[in-house]
Amino acid sequence: MKALLALVAATQAAAPAADPVRFVTCPIYRDTDAGRKSGCWLADDRATGVRYDVSRAPSKPDWNYAILIEGRVADGEAGNPCGGVVLDPVRTSILSSERCTRHMLPAEGFPGRRFVLGKRVVKPASVARATPPGPYRDRTFRLFFDVDRDFLIYEYDDYLLDQAITWIRAAKPRAIAVTGYAAMDAPDASGQRISEDPGIGRARAERVTEALARLGVDPAIITTRWSTEPQPVADPAADGLVEPSKRRVDIAATF
Amino acid sequence: MFGAAAGARADHEPQRWWAPDSGRVFPARADYRDSTGTLRVLLEGGPMETEGHPFFTAIGPDGRACVTCHQPADGMSLSAETARGRWTATGGKDPLFAAYDGSNCPTLPQGDRASHSLLLDHGLIRIQRHWPPRDLSGKTVTPDFDIAVVRDPWGCNRGDYGPEKGRISVYRRPRPVANLKYLLAIGFAYDPKQGMPLAIDPESGKPMSGNLMADARAGTLDVQMRDAAATHLELTKHLTPAQMRQITTFETRLFVAQQRDVEGGPLDAGGAEGGPAKLETSEPGQLGSIGKPVWSEFAAWEKPEPGLSKAQAAYRASVARGAKVFREKTFLISDSAGINSPMGFGNPVRNACVFCHNMTQMGNDVAPGQVDLGTTNMPFADPMPYLPLFRITCKGAPHPHYGRVIYTSDPGYALTTGRCADVGKITLQSMRGLAARAPYFSNGSAKTLRDVVDFYDRRYDIGYTEQEKRDLVNLMGAL
Repeated sequence: MKALLALVAATQAAAPAADPVRFVTCPIYRDTDAGRKSGCWLADDRATGVRYDVSRAPSKPDWNYAILIEGRVADGEAGNPCGGVVLDPVRTSILSSERCTRHMLPAEGFPGRRFVLGKRVVKPASVARATPPGPYRDRTFRLFFDVDRDFLIYEYDDYLLDQAITWIRAAKPRAIAVTGYAAMDAPDASGQRISEDPGIGRARAERVTEALARLGVDPAIITTRWSTEPQPVADPAADGLVEPSKRRVDIAATF
Repeated sequence: MFGAAAGARADHEPQRWWAPDSGRVFPARADYRDSTGTLRVLLEGGPMETEGHPFFTAIGPDGRACVTCHQPADGMSLSAETARGRWTATGGKDPLFAAYDGSNCPTLPQGDRASHSLLLDHGLIRIQRHWPPRDLSGKTVTPDFDIAVVRDPWGCNRGDYGPEKGRISVYRRPRPVANLKYLLAIGFAYDPKQGMPLAIDPESGKPMSGNLMADARAGTLDVQMRDAAATHLELTKHLTPAQMRQITTFETRLFVAQQRDVEGGPLDAGGAEGGPAKLETSEPGQLGSIGKPVWSEFAAWEKPEPGLSKAQAAYRASVARGAKVFREKTFLISDSAGINSPMGFGNPVRNACVFCHNMTQMGNDVAPGQVDLGTTNMPFADPMPYLPLFRITCKGAPHPHYGRVIYTSDPGYALTTGRCADVGKITLQSMRGLAARAPYFSNGSAKTLRDVVDFYDRRYDIGYTEQEKRDLVNLMGAL
């Protein structure tokens, strides 16, 4: 609860954030051809009738499956590139148990967005990482996941993991505790129960432990744990989204 | 096919077929005629004696050497045309046609051409995989799918050769053994298709590129060599460390690319940078989208050069257009595991050929390139009654695009990982030296480069114009 209050306080201190938007629906692909990766993803909230633009999600929908949308209305994006109220930040989790009818809209005059590199892009292996400045103290890094997935999201989790390993290589902590969480107590969305598989916390923790080992961390200093009782966190990488912040792995380094 | 236009013939072409134990000197530079002009093979560091060299020596009982299926004239792969030539020249007695994998199945009458039809007509070698699968370290994997044999035209997926005896036979093209620094390059530390850092070689402790074999069953040249020696060469004892070092040293010195086109002349003229010399000196593993664009080797040809013949000018313009089509003509990619799942690009996603063929100068994937284009999976694969067909039933989560049941002629990467989500994924390969090594795709289902373009056009409903198709074919022939 303390963490939740801190998250709320941090969010309020920064700016009056829009209310969170959270619902389940079938995604719609709008084929705005503005070059590579330029198509739009739209999501209609059946309860309000509002069509949202969820294209800014780190992992995009699959038009064959329902998605859980979690986000906030963007503050200040100019124009209407896709034909929906822009959510940013936003997460879209594919709900594989619920099939959808594929639906694709033509551009209908909407320009879409030209592709630009995102803010969380991993550098090539050949590019030297700057050594994070010391002094080094106990520190926790976090990776965040889609519902019921342990997959490290491209241009999101890989970036966060790269930040973590760069610091770990420099700081050389004595021990690392990897804790994976399953969010089983998430509120319903669109009348549907959104409760993660209790085993996903363990799967996430074991995957991240393996990932750290592949990146050169001595497995002997890693302790792997899992929990089904996550609290939200005010980590900047969670972009202020409360429920997604619970679906995570903590990488806690101690000296 | 080999026209008489100026420059069509390679000067001083070496003998095309390289037999094991021939004792020839491997030259620093060799030019071979191929379907569109001249292929050039460079050996970095100068000529090499092959006498006693393990790549060229028949060290196993079947009379084969590595070079049998990795012929310099075929871009260090093996074309179906070359296989047919050997059949004719030797009456089917060449070690290439060894019963173990140079025939459709060892149980067939080996003197009959029909028993070798997959190699002769489609350039395919039999690959016998373990069932249940074994991972990169050789450990048995518990698969999350069942496999049943639906069609077995050659009898190599039943009885002693079937899954019930721990074996599955698939049929694949030999991959070119050249330009390996590109295929071994580590562009990024992470494999976005697996959502993990790159897998680590247990022997060296270093990350592996994941781009070596069609099903990624070997992550290093050492493992690949051991696998090939034990299967294709039927070697009952291991290669020695010294032999493996010799082979590795040789293979990593080889650079292969098209050097000259029969119509267009030299591919490194007029400001273009085609040919293998550039490959030898360039840095591998670069992502074209953030550096030197893929196939920008031909960017100088976008501007007409005065004084060229009409045919040469037209050819250069076509190759340059083909490179732009390759990079810029976007289409909707859908239901392709390794692209549309699970890495979060979305299904569908709009992009171009270069989305996956993204490594500068090579056209393979900088990330480990296991992708299901549908070349082996129904309904996207073309009819191939001559290949076996398997029914895969996913026991856990269904496949994100095919559902619970998948029909495939080659499960590909799934025969290494044991995951139904990987069925039909085949590792992207180098796009160099294509004109010398038809047919294409891992199962040889595209007899020509035009067939490759047509497959993609059908698969993704791209709508290439006739001109765009010709431009892409000319581009690929120039690589």
